[in-house]
Amino acid sequence: MERQEIINGLVEILKTVRMIDPAKLANVTEETDFIADLNTPSTEMINIAAKAEQKFDVEFDDDDIDELGSKVKDIVDLIIKAKERA
Amino acid sequence: MSTGGRRVAIVGMGGAFPDCKDLNELRQKLFAGQSLIRDWDEALAHGKNIRSTVSGYITEQEMGLEPVYSTLIPNYPETYIDTLGRIPDANLATADVGSIWSMIASQEAIKMAGWSVSETESEQTGVVVGSGGAGHIILRNAWHSFFELKRKTRIAGSHTVDRAMVYRDAANVACLIKNKGVCEAIGSACATGLGNIGYAYRLIKFGIQDRVVAGGVEGTSLETYIGFDAMQVLSKGFAASESSRPFDTDRNGFVCSFGCGIVALEEYEMAKARGANILAVIDDYFNNSDGAGNMFFPSFDGQKRLWKGLFADRPIKADVVKVHGTSTPVGDTIELFSVVDIMGEDGYHISAPKSQFGHMLGAAGAVELITAIMMLQEQKVLPCLNSTNLNPELENFQKAEGWDGPKKPVAEYRHLISPETVNKEINSIVCLNYGFGGTNSAMSISRDI
Repeated sequence: MERQEIINGLVEILKTVRMIDPAKLANVTEETDFIADLNTPSTEMINIAAKAEQKFDVEFDDDDIDELGSKVKDIVDLIIKAKERA
Repeated sequence: MSTGGRRVAIVGMGGAFPDCKDLNELRQKLFAGQSLIRDWDEALAHGKNIRSTVSGYITEQEMGLEPVYSTLIPNYPETYIDTLGRIPDANLATADVGSIWSMIASQEAIKMAGWSVSETESEQTGVVVGSGGAGHIILRNAWHSFFELKRKTRIAGSHTVDRAMVYRDAANVACLIKNKGVCEAIGSACATGLGNIGYAYRLIKFGIQDRVVAGGVEGTSLETYIGFDAMQVLSKGFAASESSRPFDTDRNGFVCSFGCGIVALEEYEMAKARGANILAVIDDYFNNSDGAGNMFFPSFDGQKRLWKGLFADRPIKADVVKVHGTSTPVGDTIELFSVVDIMGEDGYHISAPKSQFGHMLGAAGAVELITAIMMLQEQKVLPCLNSTNLNPELENFQKAEGWDGPKKPVAEYRHLISPETVNKEINSIVCLNYGFGGTNSAMSISRDI
């Protein structure tokens, strides 16, 4: 799965998070920071991770989620890692 | 023992009410003698597994709310959309339905009170709002996902605590209005609504706060409903509008309802000084316990001590007694006799608003206080709907040895209990609510004249 394909999928998830301003989702890149750039409440990060598991049909390790960074590339890396492990 | 202190005014109110879009519709329907109780599709959906099927319920759509269902757990509302744009999304994310009602009602009450932003956000403004039940819809789905489906905790999301915790209503209101004073929830079962307002009254009376947003809520919950249904204490066998019938000989249980009542309280002299519209003045509040060691059965002695505590050594006077009046076989008669024992056989009327909207449990005392304020405003006594036939015979407990209460049957008090709205001068009203565990609450309110 291409990284851009994963980013597009993540943007679809982010559109369902009502605290994120949809206008900020127009130019999401790997460097976009969920918290600093999108103002995502930190409490929503685990919900985004759980929805990513469902959307990309993967299961993250709890330790990996604990150490997850707040940039888009961090979760893209995690999805790819989980896919490779599977 | 009551001590002196500051006076407390009620300067705002708001809420969520069955089959009513706002306070005005509630007022209009109640004084027109209408019932707000309907057949409840959520109960009917369970067929023979559930005894009672009527409720004073509120749909999400009626409150301008739209659930956003999780893609991870079927039928789990992960948040709500406020289609009327009253509550920000960040606040909606941490709230269950009851907490959202509390926030909407608090906004309404503060607007009516006319508090400025700085007054609302002050260290002298508190929030005291409680609920009878838990955030059941949230817990139901979270627990099912973990225990039955054996899924990871994160599948239920990160908001099961804030949306289900005991004081979620107070917490959500405080996060919305950004007050810097007290934020607490008092729980006393079906006396919760009045209990929270009574506690808030004391906070102002004793100088701890100048303003408090206070009330009670009972969010829609089939779990709550079926718990009472299993106890066989819910009304059964009547048309919806006739199912809540306090004092009537054919009553066979209460109607489990849901709703929310919030009032804005303010220290009287401050409210007066800024020219606030004072809806009512709280004369006093008193609460106690039966001390009878019985979780469920009402206590004549406990209720008599409640009245004694409310009035202390002052002369007893009330134009209306707003009773708890649930429509249960024993509760109504014990309560009537305790009222008569203290108030005498005439000179006042009894109002039982549960006859019109059922028993809102944790919200009951707060919503019924709002109906009492409306009675003061309208100078009309709300009816005891469906109190058609009163028992002409003595109750069994009246015949028991040691009974020291009134020795006449309920039918002898017909003149106190009107099935229709009564016009009369009303200057003061006593509000009564009781709860499981033998807890009793009473508040006296008056017109500001």
